[in-house]
Amino acid sequence: MSANVKLFSLAPVGWKFPADRDGLIFTPGQFFLVGRWGVGEAPFGGASSPFEKGSIEIGVRKAGNVTAALHQLARGDEMTIRGPYGNGYPLDFFKGKDVVMVTGGCGIPPIATLIEYIIARRELFGRVYLLYGALTPDDLLFEERYKHWEKHIKVILTVDKPTPDWKGHIGLVSELTREIKIDPVNTATAMCGPGPMAAALENILRPLGIADRRIFVSEERKMSCGIGKCQHCTTGDKYVCTDGPVFYYDQVQSNWD
Amino acid sequence: MPRVISKNHIPNLLIHLKKSHDVFAPMEKEGEVVFGNVEDPTKVLLNYKTTLLPPKIYFLPPEEELFKVTNGRVQEEQLNNKFVVFGLSRKDLEAIVYLDQIMNKKPADTFYLNRRRAVTLIGVSEEEVGVPPGGDLILEKISDRYYRTLALTKKGKKIADLEFFEEKEINHKAKSHEATSKLDQILLDSELIARAIEWSRENYRQIWEHLGRVCLGCGICTYVCPLCYCTSTEDKTSFDQTVCSRCRKWDACTLPGFAKIAGGHNFRPTQAARYFNWFYHKFVRAYKEFGRAQCVACHRCQRYCPAGIDIEKVLEEIINAFQKAEPERKF
Repeated sequence: MSANVKLFSLAPVGWKFPADRDGLIFTPGQFFLVGRWGVGEAPFGGASSPFEKGSIEIGVRKAGNVTAALHQLARGDEMTIRGPYGNGYPLDFFKGKDVVMVTGGCGIPPIATLIEYIIARRELFGRVYLLYGALTPDDLLFEERYKHWEKHIKVILTVDKPTPDWKGHIGLVSELTREIKIDPVNTATAMCGPGPMAAALENILRPLGIADRRIFVSEERKMSCGIGKCQHCTTGDKYVCTDGPVFYYDQVQSNWD
Repeated sequence: MPRVISKNHIPNLLIHLKKSHDVFAPMEKEGEVVFGNVEDPTKVLLNYKTTLLPPKIYFLPPEEELFKVTNGRVQEEQLNNKFVVFGLSRKDLEAIVYLDQIMNKKPADTFYLNRRRAVTLIGVSEEEVGVPPGGDLILEKISDRYYRTLALTKKGKKIADLEFFEEKEINHKAKSHEATSKLDQILLDSELIARAIEWSRENYRQIWEHLGRVCLGCGICTYVCPLCYCTSTEDKTSFDQTVCSRCRKWDACTLPGFAKIAGGHNFRPTQAARYFNWFYHKFVRAYKEFGRAQCVACHRCQRYCPAGIDIEKVLEEIINAFQKAEPERKF
């Protein structure tokens, strides 16, 4: 997908992932613990369409032992997966509203799956925006999906360091909120990105009239057990694995760790 | 008439139990009291202060293989025979009951619960038990020679029905409680502790900064704690790479990399932040989750901390500072 991010498609052999009554195999925003025997496992947000029963896609940034080992795998190699865990974006709340999705760099996988969900049920949503920023054009992930997404939603991209052929925006993703037209009292915002991005957005979304309870953020921690026991993913009095990873903004904004 | 067992019969009971179970009990080893496999029942201690490691080692072992993969074939952890842990103190039983509650909370920890189902817990108390904290059977000392049985489950009743026990009227009574420690008294008000710790994060930072400098970040306090249960999942591979296992190991939130994520960002980058989190979990997050502090005042962390940190004194200082700063709260 980029210099250090690879897309993996995990397909069970001889069976399919089970779907719920709405046909979803997971809720956008939920995560899986994916790994390889002998190496270990790490948490990843599902990135593919949640309606796809044959496989689950995850984006893997080479950053540690597990991800480095996964990067060495070849097509057809075996991996382990368990999940889905945690709470995803509250889809019923999003229905009937304008939706603004804001993300940066490799925070996009949970947003990508949310976009796939929205496109599959497009008539249920109002105006839908994706505001996506990265350091360089090469760091913008899921490039091959943009054409398809643009047919259904407004995709606005920005980079910090443009290449000479870059035609999109330059600067922080928080500045892109100027490009959107929304009805603030009927808008839901989905965010997935680093803390400073969330803080910058808070200062922009609030003056636009979007209340904290309409902003949903996905938190990143090193989930190990996935069932609220091992304590690795705690933030304040919350467990990211079972209370999140998607939170109302006001649930986590004041957390210190 | 109460069912009692004579002190002389206890080794015979253990020999009998050993025929069908692995039996673990406290005994002395290199100057410390530790739980171990009972080989010589006369070496089992009935009257001791605390063991070094708590009995959680039998339900949440320092390292366990959850899955084993041999030449591509996956096998879930197989538990061996049923086993008995004998000679548990009241505080350790109390901690096990709380740990059960934690592990039973959905989504439940099935590996822990499988081990718990395989065990029979027998407590021994040199003083009066009062409200039995838990376990299957408790032996309460009522005279120099006799222990009274308190059977709390079917498993415990079955043991109390064995021929080593007899029905006997004893005119002695169990020794009443020794004076409880200051920490026991502090723990009576979990809510006050939770409020004080939460308040101290911003309003009494000096204590955390101080403890951050004193704490060596070794994790011993969490390993000896009967109610600490942080773990990490890690894989192990045999030398020839034919066998690998997915293991769960004890971890400690006071270790430097505990809250680190891929790419290197650490959500608790300082020892002060990590040490605070240890307290925050025990006394605030636990209180919000289960309504009670996760401490039974066994004093192991204080006894084994190489830096000499005494949580009783730390709690006392924070609560005093909190009450002084927020006098409007009626205590």
